[in-house]
Amino acid sequence: MTAVAPTRAEVERILREVITSILPGLPPEAVTGGRHLRDLGADSVDRVEIIIAVTVRLGVDVPLSTFSDTPDIDRMVDQLVEASRR
Amino acid sequence: MTAQRIGIEALNVYCGLAYLPVPALFEGRGLDPARMSNLMMDRRSIGLPFEDPVTNAVNAALPLVERLTDDERNRIELVVTSSESGIDYSKSITSYVHQHLGLSRDCRILEVKQACYAATAAAQLAVGYLASGLSPGAKALVIATDVALVDARAEYAEPATGHGAAAVLLSDDPRVLTIDVGAFGNHSYETMDTARPFPGFDIADVDRSLFAYLDCLTNSFARYAAKVDGADFATTFDYLVMHTPFAGLVRAAHRKMMREFAPAAPVSVDADFAQRLVPSLVYPRIVGNLCSGSVYLGLCSLIDNAGYTDGARVGLYAYGSGCSAEFYSGVIGPQSRTELARMGIAERLAARQELTFADYVQLIKENQDKLTPEENRDVDVSRYADLIGRVPGRPRMLAWTGIRNYHRRYEWV
Repeated sequence: MTAVAPTRAEVERILREVITSILPGLPPEAVTGGRHLRDLGADSVDRVEIIIAVTVRLGVDVPLSTFSDTPDIDRMVDQLVEASRR
Repeated sequence: MTAQRIGIEALNVYCGLAYLPVPALFEGRGLDPARMSNLMMDRRSIGLPFEDPVTNAVNAALPLVERLTDDERNRIELVVTSSESGIDYSKSITSYVHQHLGLSRDCRILEVKQACYAATAAAQLAVGYLASGLSPGAKALVIATDVALVDARAEYAEPATGHGAAAVLLSDDPRVLTIDVGAFGNHSYETMDTARPFPGFDIADVDRSLFAYLDCLTNSFARYAAKVDGADFATTFDYLVMHTPFAGLVRAAHRKMMREFAPAAPVSVDADFAQRLVPSLVYPRIVGNLCSGSVYLGLCSLIDNAGYTDGARVGLYAYGSGCSAEFYSGVIGPQSRTELARMGIAERLAARQELTFADYVQLIKENQDKLTPEENRDVDVSRYADLIGRVPGRPRMLAWTGIRNYHRRYEWV
């Protein structure tokens, strides 16, 4: 766990970095809050890799199934912020 | 733990007579070819209209049963089929399978359902029976059997779906895999990731299912490690076999487990994957997902393709949607390779006939309603005589010929 919980903006930045590292052809401006990872061209394995990588970067320990119903990137950021404050 | 050796005496798979190359399916469906690298699938077995869950089960188990003496065959005291391709709400697939395999009537028979975990559940229950001492020398036959009903609606699951059955003969003479009795971890909870609410109609929530598969792997291994002194994901198992909905998921699962349980492992994750997992994926990559038989197809692949020269411990992971999972282990050795080689699995997979995408689309129409209850039906096997005749070295096999008054009919061809 991180000593100090990251801000929402920091979580958003880290998630954006992770997404663009796993989907290297994706322009960073394409990562907008209302889109699902699927809409960005992430296949099911990419989606797993993105979630694992961002939780490792943030030092949060939550089951992957936490994100089974996540509708878009905005909500994913919310969930990561909540998890990092636990 | 028991000192008695219990495990798999004999093992076989039946994976049909025909296959479709995955690139042909991608092209025919207009799927994105960039997705093939994460899918990691090359071919998929395709069923023919005269093949159903009963024929697949019998055709997988027959080579095992035929090798037994009459006395040995009569020691099969438990026969279980596991399937998500049910043919009746009451009468089991096993009732037909037991009949056509010519097994003793002094036998407990049933069918079980727990999605792709079911065969492992049945096998572990059978191990408990065999280890109990209630009937020394008894054998149990567990057969995972399914047919594919997928079409274009399945999207990227369509190229990964297989066809066939795996037959597992368990006893106190474990020549193929000695099971580490008592070394297992389970994880189960309710979730709606995939289901088949009607014959011929599958629903799937891809993210929910993959996430559940991966969470259950972590949790079932953690339970295993809590029970087994010194168990370590990186060093305890010479090889790993996992349920394979598609090979790319197994690669992702291995990577996740290495991050969680072996972050300081001296070998790279990719090298470890190549060494411990890739041998188990050779057959799944050219057959497709065999549902609860998938992990046993992977075990066949490992035994036939890995380079072990001495005893080797194998970690096995079974996951079934819904969901339930188990991580357990066993030991293989050079005798495992000798025993399994008698089944000629690689040769039979190579003998399958290649279909075109057009052939496949035509077959879907004929295959899709084979589980739908009907009072009467005819299945004309002779229409496929040309294809059957082209399969080199094809052994005698059971074929589904139709239904009369709801009673399914079969013939040897």
